[in-house]
Amino acid sequence: MSAAAAKSDGTRPVTPVSRYLWVLAALLTLLALTAGSALLKLGSLNTVLNLAISFAKTSLVMSIFMHSTQGRRLTFMVSLLGFIWLAILICFALSDFTTRAVIPAPW
Amino acid sequence: MTAATDAACAPDADVHEQYDDATQQREAATLGMWVFLSTEILFFGVLFASYTILRILYPQGFAAASRHTDMLLGTIETAVLLTSSSLIALAVRAVRLDQNRVAAWLLAATATLGLSFLVMHGFEYYKEYTEHLIPAIDFMQPGPHSHAIELFFCLYYCITGFHSLHVAIGVVVISALAVRVCRGAYGAHRYTYPELTALYWHLVDIVWVFVYPLLYLVDRSG
Amino acid sequence: MSTIEGSFWSHDYGLRAWLTTRDHKRIAILYALGITFYFFLGGAAATLIRLNLVEPTGALLSAENYNKAFTFHGVVMVWFFLIPSIPTTLGNFLLPLMIGARDVAFPRLNLASWYLYMLGGLFAVAALLAGGVDTGWTFYTPFSTMFSNTNVYLVVIGVFVTGFSSILTGVNFIVTIHTLRMPRLTWFRLPLFVWCMYAVSLVMVLATPVLAMTLALIALERLAHLGIFDPALGGDPLLFQHLFWFYSHPAVYIMILPAMGVVSEIIPCFVRRRIFGYRFMVYSILAITVIGFMVWGHHMFVAGQSMYASLLFSILSFVVAVPSAIKVFNWTATLRKGDISFEAPMLYALGFIGLFMLGGLTGLMLAAPALDIPLTDTYFVVAHFHYVMVGGSVMAYLGGIHYWWPKITGKLYSEGWARAAAILMFFGFNLTFFPQYILGYEGMPRRYHAYLPHFQVLNVLSSAGASILALAYLLPVAYLLWSLRAGRAAGNNPWQARGLEWQTTSPPPQENFLSAPTVGEAYAYDEAAP
Repeated sequence: MSAAAAKSDGTRPVTPVSRYLWVLAALLTLLALTAGSALLKLGSLNTVLNLAISFAKTSLVMSIFMHSTQGRRLTFMVSLLGFIWLAILICFALSDFTTRAVIPAPW
Repeated sequence: MTAATDAACAPDADVHEQYDDATQQREAATLGMWVFLSTEILFFGVLFASYTILRILYPQGFAAASRHTDMLLGTIETAVLLTSSSLIALAVRAVRLDQNRVAAWLLAATATLGLSFLVMHGFEYYKEYTEHLIPAIDFMQPGPHSHAIELFFCLYYCITGFHSLHVAIGVVVISALAVRVCRGAYGAHRYTYPELTALYWHLVDIVWVFVYPLLYLVDRSG
Repeated sequence: MSTIEGSFWSHDYGLRAWLTTRDHKRIAILYALGITFYFFLGGAAATLIRLNLVEPTGALLSAENYNKAFTFHGVVMVWFFLIPSIPTTLGNFLLPLMIGARDVAFPRLNLASWYLYMLGGLFAVAALLAGGVDTGWTFYTPFSTMFSNTNVYLVVIGVFVTGFSSILTGVNFIVTIHTLRMPRLTWFRLPLFVWCMYAVSLVMVLATPVLAMTLALIALERLAHLGIFDPALGGDPLLFQHLFWFYSHPAVYIMILPAMGVVSEIIPCFVRRRIFGYRFMVYSILAITVIGFMVWGHHMFVAGQSMYASLLFSILSFVVAVPSAIKVFNWTATLRKGDISFEAPMLYALGFIGLFMLGGLTGLMLAAPALDIPLTDTYFVVAHFHYVMVGGSVMAYLGGIHYWWPKITGKLYSEGWARAAAILMFFGFNLTFFPQYILGYEGMPRRYHAYLPHFQVLNVLSSAGASILALAYLLPVAYLLWSLRAGRAAGNNPWQARGLEWQTTSPPPQENFLSAPTVGEAYAYDEAAP
């Protein structure tokens, strides 16, 4: 968190309108990029690109609209919690599903 | 959702007895909302995890199924939600600057966009019904990927249904908030509840940002 | 009843005042009533199971009714007793007191969570009255979604609703600990019980949504045959098991972490010294919380999980045992050369350490696929988790109830009866469950209403132990209730303990502290009392 951003009573300064509008423009541009890239033949890169753009949009929404990076550091950490735990769920489940048929288990 | 915001809606002016001051109360409410949002991510996470596993098991089936969805409507819906998110952010800003009428209009616009999202979804569902794509009600897809397409649409309805439920709750809460803001219930020193409502709405938006490519854009070029 | 005057008990009389209270202390009492009810309800099912197993033919219960009995026992004991037990009663009562707060952060949510708990419980009881459920507490698919003809919906709805109660409690505790600590009460001065409540809240908040959504999918699957978990339609039943155990293994830590917290309070008090290795205790609590989420696959070694995933989950299961072992070592090191006095809470705490260690070590055996594969679904597994959950959590819960009883009620119970009950419980427990280790090792499968005749001797021993255990569980109800009528006044700090909760009156006034308590190091038993 930036020290100047947090006043002594814990309130944030008001964000200028132009900043919100710039973010909206960026979000809509990213949306156009996702939709456009999906129509190109890129193979598995399509999915990677789509998800990367989704994460970019998410970080814009979280940092500017939701101010997750401008308040207490605790807020920022909590904002990541759900994503990290979902990653644990998906990654460990994948460790099973992606390695299943390689060698049949001896039992 | 309702329970968490219920606790958070304590007006800033009167501080509950367990808190020292309004700042502590606001911090507690904000932290509570963020923790609640983490649980929301994991609620949706079960569906996303199921989606990931089944897509890895049936890559071609999921690609074929995704092409049955309406990409144009999906894209418009995404744009609508992203716009509504920025409007509610502007609304909270207006509340903090004591511009109650502006804030109320912005909130009303947010709720209207949310409502139009639901209507567009209704059209999508109807179109899928006529194309025999709704599992358990009317599903008929010939071809080698029939089962995988059915699984995709099961997840499609679970995810979009659960998400639309969140949008619907949001529309109701935001509409009620708009009325209260218009009556001057909030202002520069009392904005916790509008801010927490906005956090919820942004999360609904974020979920959709992932739903859109995962359901509408799988292998569109194929 | 002079001590009751001016306390939270007498603040506002009447049923209505209690049912609309937002006082964390009263909500704790409400929870305690609910939890005690479900404990004896689940215990009744266990009694039926043990009675049935006295004879190899299992003549008392039909196979179907036996399935319903152990399902009901499991569902009630896991979701309506063990998971809420310590956090919602002792946790609710003590957490604000221990951090010097007036209440929890969201008192209305706290009351709402009790109502959700009771509503969920009603669904479970309704399922019992409607004829029971036979899926086992794990609701494995496709049996639960396609084949079972019992009241799966009712139980699933009950557990779903109770899950929200857990989530609300978790959110409440996390925010309370972050925002309402007294000035100068820094993180590393917090009692370990508070740390455990923090850790357990994290687990509740991060795991319970996954269970709730998975159960919702089960209900949908039953209703509309979605096929996500149905192999005939291309789905995968192992997907269900992954999602289910992503919650249900951490749920084991929801049960044991609070127990560790209670024991960490009791031991320093009756040894009169600081807890050994405070910081390591904190780090091991946090390590258990995080690593506990990465071990769930050890429930699926024989389910068709990939061998490589089994290897990964097995190694991580060994890793998670390290912080648990650190805790056992630290408790033992605290005892060493200490001035130990054997009051009833201490007997429960010592019993906890022994039984938890036996449960934990057999858990390591089951974490190794080479041993787990022959032992899966035998009584060895049953004995293992009962040592952890009953020997561990229930002993610690009762230890905590005895330790804080004077604080909660302002009365002293009969020390002699309490010691007798603790000792009886320890021996009754071992007589019940140790034979089950041997039975499992010899190959007796779990979840059958009949068994081969040569297992009878050990089964009879186990059932005999269960009857002793039942008596030992009924005893505290009698003498604790008696103490309310006839117990001596306890005074504010009968154990000369050091936590902030002992600085207020017993029972505490409605506002918790009439004058601000003095904050110091946790467990400052080597210093003079404040």
